[in-house]
Amino acid sequence: MIRYCVRCIMPETKPDLHIDGEGVCSACRSFERRKEVDWDNRRGALKEILDRYRSRNGSNYDCIVPVSGGKDSTYQTVRMLELGMNPLCVTATTDKLSDIGRRNIENLKRRGVDYIEMTANPVVRRRINRLALTQVGDISWPEHVTIFTIPVRIAVQMNIPLIVWGENSQNEYGGPAADAENSVLTRRWLEEFGGLLGLRVSDLIGQEGIEPRHLIQYTYPTDEELRRVGVTGIFLGYYLPWDGFGNALFSQAHGFETYHKPVEGSLVNYENLDNIQTGIHDYFKFLKYGFGRATDLACLHVRRGRISREDAVKLVRMHDGKFPWVYLGCPIEEVLREMEMTLDGFVRVCDRFTNKKQFVCDSRGNLVKDRDGNLTKINYDNEKFLRA
Amino acid sequence: MTRVAIVDYGMGNLDSVARAVEECGGVPVVTGRAADIGSANRIILPGVGAFPDGMRNLKERSLDKILHEQVAEKGIPLLGICLGMQLLATRGWEGGETEGLGWIGGEVRRLQPGEGNTRIPHVGWNEVFAIRESPLFRGIPEGKDFYFVHSYHFLCDDDRDVLARTPYCGGFVSAIGRGSVFGVQFHPEKSQRAGFQVLRNFLGV
Amino acid sequence: MLKIRVIATLLYKGWGLVKGVGFDSWRRTGSAMQAVKVYNMREMDELVFLDITATNERRRPDFALVDELADECFMPLTVGGGVTTVDDVRDLLRVGADKVAVNTTAVTDPGLVRRIADRFGSQCIVVSIDARRRSDGTYEACTNSGTVATGRDPAELAYEVEALGAGEILVTSVERDGTMSGYDVELTRRVSEAVSIPVIASGGAGSYGDMVHVISEGKASAVASASIYHFTQQTPLEAKRYLRDRGFAVRL
Repeated sequence: MIRYCVRCIMPETKPDLHIDGEGVCSACRSFERRKEVDWDNRRGALKEILDRYRSRNGSNYDCIVPVSGGKDSTYQTVRMLELGMNPLCVTATTDKLSDIGRRNIENLKRRGVDYIEMTANPVVRRRINRLALTQVGDISWPEHVTIFTIPVRIAVQMNIPLIVWGENSQNEYGGPAADAENSVLTRRWLEEFGGLLGLRVSDLIGQEGIEPRHLIQYTYPTDEELRRVGVTGIFLGYYLPWDGFGNALFSQAHGFETYHKPVEGSLVNYENLDNIQTGIHDYFKFLKYGFGRATDLACLHVRRGRISREDAVKLVRMHDGKFPWVYLGCPIEEVLREMEMTLDGFVRVCDRFTNKKQFVCDSRGNLVKDRDGNLTKINYDNEKFLRA
Repeated sequence: MTRVAIVDYGMGNLDSVARAVEECGGVPVVTGRAADIGSANRIILPGVGAFPDGMRNLKERSLDKILHEQVAEKGIPLLGICLGMQLLATRGWEGGETEGLGWIGGEVRRLQPGEGNTRIPHVGWNEVFAIRESPLFRGIPEGKDFYFVHSYHFLCDDDRDVLARTPYCGGFVSAIGRGSVFGVQFHPEKSQRAGFQVLRNFLGV
Repeated sequence: MLKIRVIATLLYKGWGLVKGVGFDSWRRTGSAMQAVKVYNMREMDELVFLDITATNERRRPDFALVDELADECFMPLTVGGGVTTVDDVRDLLRVGADKVAVNTTAVTDPGLVRRIADRFGSQCIVVSIDARRRSDGTYEACTNSGTVATGRDPAELAYEVEALGAGEILVTSVERDGTMSGYDVELTRRVSEAVSIPVIASGGAGSYGDMVHVISEGKASAVASASIYHFTQQTPLEAKRYLRDRGFAVRL
């Protein structure tokens, strides 16, 4: 049986999550510790850092804010402006940008900032996507790489040492304690927590005709370059209490547009609106680790007391881990076609990466799927909760 | 679609070979039935274990007969892997004298440790050097490493049947071929990309 | 010539792969299938897959899982954890393992090593020895995922199992495992000098230099590691190039 946190409903199958002796997960514990934080102190510390990095004469930017145009980056950008910074907003172009995603990027620019968008070669990108999907079961692997490499490369090239990231996912989603306290994103953080899944950019060379010259934007700057410019990445979420929903409300008030209904596989309409491939990415998380975006969101809201655990369990059961036929209104066949993959081929890859132990299988060990291809988990909550 | 019959005579890692054939674009049919072997475009004879057991198992299942028909008479390309390669010989000397399938003249004898640190069995990655042109090694650089695990080796009667050698125990024969009958001492299904290239070359022969 | 092997170890617990430090504080690192596919793509020389709770849970190996993983593994695969009978070995080989690793049972029932070697051949049995360093500088072998001290000297144990037919020895330093602070070169050397079969060093690799060290002074024939590839930017290919540049024969 899969064990779940007794406070939120995160399953123990999630990598880097730890459920303690009382049945509470590390993400909930991490959130608990927030009450002990002296936020005034942290805010003060943030101001000091910003003062230190602010340009003396306005001849260069004060910091880089990596942005996607989403609720968090819109919030980060406005906050930086409010705190008197002159940021350069940097976007690593997402692979399959939605219309609403493009509109939100334009909105972000209109907050009043200089903006750079770096698009890695889309033809090569599609090949890497397919490789990443078939080799590590993560279509968004290249995206996760460029989200980190592109802003840092620009920081080095344009001599802007301070990078202001958003949340430390380790803190938000509960990672090994030592790092949840970290305020700084280092190369080591990227390697260990950046979602690289054990694959490295250098492994791509020689596959599907990919050569080193195609991977320039995927290459993290050298330690020497980082040291020369003094690049430091801080997590805004360490200095200001971070809440995705709060950020959404804030951003909406600043022109951010939400989707007209909850995004497929999710519970909300205010996040993951920019990349149409996200549906596939989230689905594979479900196949490997037994939880999808609906679970993530339900847990975030349960922790902040917005919904009860009981309701969370039901909502997750309704929405989590459904086969991603459509995402943001776009049919999966379109995404697959761009990667030269058939639906059958895709389903085969899905089955390969599915951790069968978590799902209902028939007597021959094959996964049981409903009419729409959806799987059923062996249990959606802890025994004692089910009995009650 | 190239139908590849992978002979199941109770010896060998059939699944691995089937998977590798699949990855190389063939349609693997793991079978011990004459009918299946008879309808295949290619035949692979895998094998892990001892020579006498191998021959006995083939004979008990009458597989030697169908293989003779398809390979010796009809000329259907066949690839012997590891023990499968050794069985192609005239005779083998493991555990006494045993008659082999006899399609490539030669004998199978125990590896003799050479100088230095050569241990038997020969287990691990080692270089394969093609001695003459052969479709089997097309596109594979000289001295590429393949995975070996064996204690016996093939001595060819006719040097023209030697396709490749490996620098170990005096440079034993690591690949043989006569007409459309081939044999490799290493395991292509365990030798990743290089192994796949050999399999693809065999499928394309 | 026969190459030095660079091997990746996958530790399996419960739902997926884990990494520990000193055989403790296990941390989930992700999907086993994903790791097998990545290492296959990276042309690793060999994979060692160990189910670390099978013995303590008195459970047989998970054949269905090994079957799935073996399907994606086009390089030699060694599987261990919970192997106590010849049937376990037969079934593992049948689902796709090339070699089987035996740890606890090699100490509690050494005759098993002989029986496996007789039935399947020495080349398919790896005896895995986990060892701790005592304060006086001597070593002690442990079983049951490092939880039970046996009082046996690992070099002696290695010698004994070689005579029974073991094909290789995998020697792991319990306290160094996961620390990335270097292999226990002394432990490896003592075991290597006691036997004439290949010895795979394991536990503690943090840098390519550590690998060179354990091969040249520890006399290892192969180096196994896990944390280093998962948690840092070091890769198996770079490790091999580093070894080649220092004169070691590796497969590239």
